[in-house]
Amino acid sequence: MIKALGYFIEIIRGIVITSRHFFVNMFFHILKVLGIKTKRKGAVTIQYPEQKKEIAARHRSLHRLMAREDGKPRCVACMLCVTVCPSECIYVEAAEDPDLEMQKYPSKFIIDIGRCCFCGFCVEACPEDAIRMDSGEIDFAGYTRDDLVYDLDKLLR
Amino acid sequence: MVKIHIDKKPIDVEEGTTVLKAAETAGISIPHLCYHDAFPPEGSCRMCLVEIEGLPKLELACSTQVRDGMKVFTKSEKVVEARKGVLEFLLAEHPLDCPICDKAGDCKLQDYYDEYGLFESQFRESKEKREKKDKIGKSLIHDEERCILCRRCVRFLREITETQELGVFERGIHSRVNIYDLTPVDNNYSGNLAQICPVGAITDEDFRFKTRSWFLKKGESICPLCSRGCSITIEYHPGFSHFGVPSRVYRIQSRENQEVNGFWICDMGRYGYSYLSENRLDKIVINNKEWNIQPTWEDVSYFINQQLKKLDEGKKTSQTVLILNTWLSNEELFLIHKIFKNDQNLERIFFADRPQAEKDDFLLTAERTPNKKGALEMGFDMKPANPGALSDKTDLLLAFGSFLAEQISAADLKKALEKIETKVLFTSHENELNSLFDIVLPTALIPEKGGSLTNIDGKIQKFSPVFEPPGDSLPEWMMLADLGRKFGINSSFYGEFKTPETIAKEIENEVPFFREQK
Ligand code: SF4
Ligand code: SF4
Ligand code: SF4
Ligand code: SF4
Ligand code: FES
Repeated sequence: MIKALGYFIEIIRGIVITSRHFFVNMFFHILKVLGIKTKRKGAVTIQYPEQKKEIAARHRSLHRLMAREDGKPRCVACMLCVTVCPSECIYVEAAEDPDLEMQKYPSKFIIDIGRCCFCGFCVEACPEDAIRMDSGEIDFAGYTRDDLVYDLDKLLR
Repeated sequence: MVKIHIDKKPIDVEEGTTVLKAAETAGISIPHLCYHDAFPPEGSCRMCLVEIEGLPKLELACSTQVRDGMKVFTKSEKVVEARKGVLEFLLAEHPLDCPICDKAGDCKLQDYYDEYGLFESQFRESKEKREKKDKIGKSLIHDEERCILCRRCVRFLREITETQELGVFERGIHSRVNIYDLTPVDNNYSGNLAQICPVGAITDEDFRFKTRSWFLKKGESICPLCSRGCSITIEYHPGFSHFGVPSRVYRIQSRENQEVNGFWICDMGRYGYSYLSENRLDKIVINNKEWNIQPTWEDVSYFINQQLKKLDEGKKTSQTVLILNTWLSNEELFLIHKIFKNDQNLERIFFADRPQAEKDDFLLTAERTPNKKGALEMGFDMKPANPGALSDKTDLLLAFGSFLAEQISAADLKKALEKIETKVLFTSHENELNSLFDIVLPTALIPEKGGSLTNIDGKIQKFSPVFEPPGDSLPEWMMLADLGRKFGINSSFYGEFKTPETIAKEIENEVPFFREQK
């Protein structure tokens, strides 16, 4: 009986909090309509995903590998990102580039996004500015873990 | 003995020692690039400058001998300034392409820049372009841009191999190391060049772009490919398990051991490591229909024991044949000698080894097996395995290794083995031979177990496990000690043998040769 009363009190508390937000916001919205300037603004809900908020310049989104002018990756497979990655989610295999100026290129470049913790260390470690986290993509989900393993084809753009 | 002070630390050293070596004994390291313990000082890189009290100019630590009462400063302001200057000149024409340089991580130039340099380049001119990928030998790639002209490579080929394939051509800033008349570096010790080049100017094609040196784990071991038993370092990676990349050995480097191989190893030992990971047997294989379970070592050892006991009780031990090889360690050979020769009086013990091959006049020996001397000293008479060895009535055959196939033709072997009731093979690899045996037990290789080997000169060298053996493989000494315990004539004796060291102790007690060598 006492326990049931406890539930009841919590429900009322919840209603009070929600209504307080509603009326406070309503109050500020009405003031705005009446043309009265206030420091505080009424809250607005963004209609995600139809409507998207602009991402801050320093936001870390899905990785991308930068391409050179001829379309080949800038990456020289130095594996510094592999070294620095705390989640051990990058795997690179190097191969011989016939271009003597380049010599080394990644024949395999895999990031297991499912393990990534979005620390951005890989971006900082890269001496070639070959990997960036500025694609602006934040909505990548998959039905299996393998869907989240990104290879060179998916990363290079 | 002379008394000197290095960085105010008093030390006593032998007369004639260089300042560099004297400092090393005191635990003070002086940066150096061209100096290598194997050669007399050359004095070309100028990295080792130190200040000596009373002398107006800085001196080269690698080629200045100590004098009584000498006061050396290795970290004074002047010295650090000079090191910076030397580094700046070395790097003036250096490409600094460390991201694609296989030496990165092991490179002394990189280390010294990190320690003393850290300056911005003052040169505005672009660096000179030179040959970046010149194949100068079997497995060697030369990058002229990275070369600092320390001449270690040239000296190695003059003084150690005496083949003189490399030289320094032209003068001044045009100097470059190259081969004469397009005759590549081709000797059995060429791989050492990539190891002694202090920078990434000579790199190894075999290791090229495979991985980065700092990913590798290192373990000390002994090369088992010939009876010299050179000291080596095995560099391996345990694998990226969540990307499905298995563990593997990436390279073998030589390890200093003045009593055996100095600073060097031959190319056969350096590049012959694929056997460590390829075609390995990792499960017990049963080719006998009567067994309908996948047995463990426990089951198999019980079975072997039953067979041994049966033959022993029926006084029929003459119907057991043992085929050994000299890849087995001293400890393993000792246990075999104990169990089968002492306890069972077995006569029919044969050896099947990799055949001899050509030796050279430096390290490589003709015996392409690591422990022949050990087997001889253990008291085996080393009869070779041939078809005749199996011709008499045989009930039980215990064979070690897969070299039998190299000594007896497949047809002969098949015929001989068909008549034998029970055949057990201890081997590390998948092999055609395996299908001829009833039970095949996977074994560990030298870097996967502990023990000791006796090299051609009778030097006993210990080795410890570097990495784990694959799957269900076990070291032979473990299986043998277990058999000894179970066979029961003297089980408390074998019960002591929990590690290779305990066996080694017992060997010293019983076999005079091993006692004397100690
Ligand atoms: S963001 Fe961090 S965790 Fe993710 S790949 Fe880069 S280094 Fe690894
Ligand atoms: S750090 Fe940059 S250049 Fe190096 S492997 Fe990673 S992405 Fe490629
Ligand atoms: S030789 Fe050393 S400093 Fe030069 S590129 Fe290679 S790692 Fe870097
Ligand atoms: S190739 Fe290497 S060892 Fe030979 S001179 Fe140049 S830096 Fe020295
Ligand atoms: S180490 Fe002394 S000059 Fe090179």
